[in-house]
Amino acid sequence: MGLFTELKDSISRATDRLFSEQEPKRIGIYGPPNAGKTTLANRIARDWTGDAVGAESHIPHETRRARRKEDVEIERNGKTVTIDIVDTPGVTTKVDYEEFTDEMDKDDAVRRSREATEGVAEAMHWLREDVDGVIYVLDSAEDPITQVNTMLIGIIESRDLPVLIFANKIDLDESSVKRIEDAFPQHKTVPLSAKEGENMDEVYDNIAEYFG
Amino acid sequence: MPHQCTNCDRTFPDGSKEMLSGCPDCGGNKFQFAPAGAVSERSAGTGSNSRDTDSNGREQRSIMADENDDSDGTVSRAAETVRDWVSSSDPSTDSTSSSSSDSRSKPTADSNSPAGNRPWPDADDRASSSHSSTDDDRRTGGSADDSTTFEEWPETARPPADRSEPDPPRTAGRSTASETTASSSEEHSSATRRSVTIDDDEDTAQADARSAVVSPDDLPASAPEPSERTESDGEDGADGTPDSEDARPPAPDTEPTTETVPPDHGRVVSEPSGDRPSLDELRDELNDQFESIKIVSPGQYELNLMELYDREEYIVSLQEDGRYVIDVPDSWRDSDD
Repeated sequence: MGLFTELKDSISRATDRLFSEQEPKRIGIYGPPNAGKTTLANRIARDWTGDAVGAESHIPHETRRARRKEDVEIERNGKTVTIDIVDTPGVTTKVDYEEFTDEMDKDDAVRRSREATEGVAEAMHWLREDVDGVIYVLDSAEDPITQVNTMLIGIIESRDLPVLIFANKIDLDESSVKRIEDAFPQHKTVPLSAKEGENMDEVYDNIAEYFG
Repeated sequence: MPHQCTNCDRTFPDGSKEMLSGCPDCGGNKFQFAPAGAVSERSAGTGSNSRDTDSNGREQRSIMADENDDSDGTVSRAAETVRDWVSSSDPSTDSTSSSSSDSRSKPTADSNSPAGNRPWPDADDRASSSHSSTDDDRRTGGSADDSTTFEEWPETARPPADRSEPDPPRTAGRSTASETTASSSEEHSSATRRSVTIDDDEDTAQADARSAVVSPDDLPASAPEPSERTESDGEDGADGTPDSEDARPPAPDTEPTTETVPPDHGRVVSEPSGDRPSLDELRDELNDQFESIKIVSPGQYELNLMELYDREEYIVSLQEDGRYVIDVPDSWRDSDD
């Protein structure tokens, strides 16, 4: 393994990207706050790269900047699919620091709130220009028919991006995957628990199929 | 069923996404918000063409299936409809902007307007604000392609160079005008990003003008390198001149300032307080210009997702006193990695 081999490798990787379909698609993980986007991103990243993407928290808006994990290679049926994962801040139409004051003091809550708002702006920009496909994560214990979900999925549809809907948190008693399927019948819904790692095989099958 | 097709009067439940692809009955893509009380009377009366849509999944599914057949049109219509929906699902918007709904939605609109969960504030806020005389014109400034809009801006919204001119450039149109505002703010952000060189050439007037605009608590907490000079230099003039509105940078192409880059914590200037005369106006004004994020109060924000999605420039930093630092996507993407 000399310099030459390395060079050759990187050149062939570059040409692969230029001339074949090997270029990793950038898949944005979108959804409302606290749906489990980062938990999912971490699960995927850990399963296939060994690293995590970002900190998880039960407090909404833990992720306030988009985070990217590049070159995640997912193997399915002997075939390898390479994607870049973008974990985005939860999208919402309202951010209120009072939501956080139980967990932290007011100054921190206000700051979190401001950063979360900036994060939404950033997420919307990624959606506009920087993603090739979307994993839309929903908390299956919550009502999926909300303004944010409807609007975001509408935007994604209008851009013709491939989208998978992930009904997360199926480990919870109140979870209802059907409610999500009924809400967005035009899209494939995959049930899972990112936290518990349930049904991840089907998750990866679908990722490979939709974004490969 | 708060939403209604303005064409065929078909109604939709709140949160329905059928509208996103246009009205399934007539293909119309204009909808208005009809408050629950008003609609129940109305739909009982009309009945004829309002299919029963009480948010039952099965019904929606069949409609969706129909739509998929002519996916071509629906896709392009979807975006438009989403946009319409954003603005028209606001009860108070309808009362002023949609003439057909005036009589019906007014009562509820009034009582609803302070309530929180609206997609975006529109006419009501501005109508009640102090500068209501021009609000129709300026409201369109953010999104519409009305090229005469910007002559209506208040003096303070323009760069000083333009201010006292009797006839501001009418032909400027949207792009120029928004460039002007954008670039002056870009200065702030490029300042925060670089925070390296210090411009010693400027005179004190310039320094004052700028320090009044970019005060230390203005800059994002993530400002790359806090500069200690801020406290000594930048604030000399700033303390006495809270009316920052008038203290925009002299011209958009001025050398970006760096000396006002603040520490990322620790407040040096006075907290935003009620005695700032122009605070509310400033807030309204900025909301007009950048309608994508409304600061309700420190730590409380309302976001217009469609606006955020549509906009080229974007707000990287929100200030508690109603100020924004905006940036264009290209520059933040670079600094991101």
